[in-house]
Amino acid sequence: MTLFTKSLCSACQEIQKDFDLKTLGVEVEELGPDNPDALAHLAWHELVEIAEKSLPILVLNDLSAIADTDAIKNYLAERITRH
Amino acid sequence: MGNLLEFSHVGHEGSGDRAGTEKPTREVTDIALGTLVRRSEEVLDSWDRQKIVDALVRETFVDQDTAEAISLEVEEMILVSRISMVTAPLIRELVDAKLIERGLEQARRMHTRLGVPLYDVEQMIVQPNKENANVPHGPEATNLTLAESIKKEYGLLNVFSPEVGDAHMRGDIHLHDLGFIDRPYCSGQSLEYLKKFGLNLPNSLAMAKPAKHAEVLLAHMVKFAAALQGNFAGAIGWDAVNLFFAPYLEGLDDRAVEQLAQMMIFEFSQQAVARGGQAIFTDVNLYWEVPKHFEDVPAIGPGGSYTGKTYAEYEKEAQRFVWKLFEVYKKGDGAGRPFFFPKPLVHITEKFFKTPGHQAFLNHICDVASDKGNTYFVFDRGETAKISECCRLSFKLERSDLEDAKQPWKMRYCALQNVTLNLPRLAYRAKGDDTQLFAKIGELIEITIKAHRQKREFITRLVSHKSSGPLSLLNMNLDGSPYLRMHRCTYLIGMVGMNELIQYHTGEEMHGSAEAMKFGLKVIAYMKLLADQCSRKYNMRFVLEQTPAESTAYRFAKLDLKYFPKESSSVVKGDQSAGEIYYTNSTLFNVGASMNPVERVKLEGRFHPLIEAGALTHVWLGESKPPAESLANFVVKTFQRTKNDQIAFSPEFTTCKGCGKISRGLREACPWCGSEDVDGITRITGYFTRVSSWNRGKLGELKDRYRNQGHFTRPLTPERSDGGRVGR
Repeated sequence: MTLFTKSLCSACQEIQKDFDLKTLGVEVEELGPDNPDALAHLAWHELVEIAEKSLPILVLNDLSAIADTDAIKNYLAERITRH
Repeated sequence: MGNLLEFSHVGHEGSGDRAGTEKPTREVTDIALGTLVRRSEEVLDSWDRQKIVDALVRETFVDQDTAEAISLEVEEMILVSRISMVTAPLIRELVDAKLIERGLEQARRMHTRLGVPLYDVEQMIVQPNKENANVPHGPEATNLTLAESIKKEYGLLNVFSPEVGDAHMRGDIHLHDLGFIDRPYCSGQSLEYLKKFGLNLPNSLAMAKPAKHAEVLLAHMVKFAAALQGNFAGAIGWDAVNLFFAPYLEGLDDRAVEQLAQMMIFEFSQQAVARGGQAIFTDVNLYWEVPKHFEDVPAIGPGGSYTGKTYAEYEKEAQRFVWKLFEVYKKGDGAGRPFFFPKPLVHITEKFFKTPGHQAFLNHICDVASDKGNTYFVFDRGETAKISECCRLSFKLERSDLEDAKQPWKMRYCALQNVTLNLPRLAYRAKGDDTQLFAKIGELIEITIKAHRQKREFITRLVSHKSSGPLSLLNMNLDGSPYLRMHRCTYLIGMVGMNELIQYHTGEEMHGSAEAMKFGLKVIAYMKLLADQCSRKYNMRFVLEQTPAESTAYRFAKLDLKYFPKESSSVVKGDQSAGEIYYTNSTLFNVGASMNPVERVKLEGRFHPLIEAGALTHVWLGESKPPAESLANFVVKTFQRTKNDQIAFSPEFTTCKGCGKISRGLREACPWCGSEDVDGITRITGYFTRVSSWNRGKLGELKDRYRNQGHFTRPLTPERSDGGRVGR
């Protein structure tokens, strides 16, 4: 799984603070002017336009994506419960 | 003007010689009597050495003494050579040689004479110019080519720095439309400007008030487009044409609306009497629905008056007109051939699907796409709104533009210049090293930015002359702002040969593997981030665009085979032995890859959100004629399931010069009369044209194109979403 974030995004920071993403198997990709890899990865998942409006975005292993912060939190919380 | 040395004074008495040299064997008076100078002002003058001095002092920073000395040396050379007739260009070359001898390189540059060799002029007059397939061959075209060749040289010497000029000459970059150096690149606008202010051009002999009848509005539109073509290098686009015509159509019966549709298409497609005998490269943006940003806008009607209604209330009239336009496209010209211009760009939006009648309209325009190929499908997803033109260029409407939409006559957009990067060459230079590759992309973007800043400086200078300057039309300010709003211009950064860059750098073409394509995305992402960074730094709007590259893909391939033969020969596409070579355009996949069109549209579309100023995927149909419903299904899926910005379906035709009939597919002989005097018609890059006017690179590409014959007769296969290995 990949979590797309941005440095000045409070919701992104909140999720990174609240969850142990590494343990959950989530890689963090921070979008920024010096990170073409993250932007390319975002484009690969066809999420560039969504990211312009809303971050964070969580891409799941089945390649579907969640772009709503609360939904991301719920999903991650559920995964913790399941494990 | 053309002749920079003016030998107008006869019998100048200055003699003298350089210290230490012998006097000429003939006296200066003899020269004055015997040597004639053939001037470009079509007069013969007697020799006047002082003119050399005057020109050197006027045009360069050379001091008076040096100028005198050079003039004497040149005089001596002419004298010794015993030439009885010299030309002004010859004298200038001799003077330049003397400047070189003295190491005065800067002065030589400033003293350069721009011109065309006799042989080249002969070639231009006799042979067609294939740089742009939209220019026919004829005296007007020759004038255009000659003027372009001088302005190209002027631009490279006088507008751009040597660093930028040399990068173009080497083929590291391509400065588009150098022959139109004194104009912006292209323009998109609204009919509302004409509806509100009439046809009121600065240099026109007569001013027309706002049109009262639809036919007159059309006449204004065509004439304004021709005037704009004289002030822009490229395409002239019009926004929401069917909607803005709508208030003029109330009360007209269907026959009259059909007649107007016919007039519009024929007027633009038969304008082969304008610049260089070219048809005006015109795009009309069309909508089935009333775009959200125009819904509440008060409509302007006959006489430039508000009708008391909003545009939302003109939906039916707008739909009636756009339907008729496509009926005309479907019939084709008098011989049943597809119209080349105006290009109809239909916007597919979220609202489109909520507007009654959309399915029937979609089938209608897909029928035209299948039969004649005209329709372009422009996808505006979510809240996106844009105006499209040229071969794929889009101006995405920003907040300020949407604010302008409340007074739509203010809506006008300009790309000031287009500069394209030769991507494969960067890979050759990087020799497989990622760090080197990205560093070199950065260096080339830096040169590109310099090119844009230099062009902006030049155009700003021309515009500063206001109404007495060369761009007076672009200075007209009927609505309180100059027609060309420099601070709102965009600056295009194009790319050619992403596929070959990837192929050389990774060993696989883009369609070859997910990894290859991901690397391509990284290159484009890097270019976009650099463009964004430079936009902030210079307060200019730099955006990526898929360059149409009608001739650039050929030019780059040719130059790379010359300068990087070992590296390029393994990746250049086409028939190298026949010289029909090319690089794959922009970020497109190999045109010959036998890919499912659904996959091609989906995967190429992943690049599109990063290429803000426009991207397109071609679906080559060959001679197949798929059912309209099948194409409509494809269009809907493209909108819903991909990020593709724009698609076009391109059938092929053969037109017979003998019997005048048209047949489907590209053929050696006419199936109707058997004549071999035939020509092909299909889409070259972003528009239809005759194959006989194509350059060799594009001919090579045409042979390689994978035709999706038969695909659309089968049910569409679901698109892949795993990004796995695709293609062959």
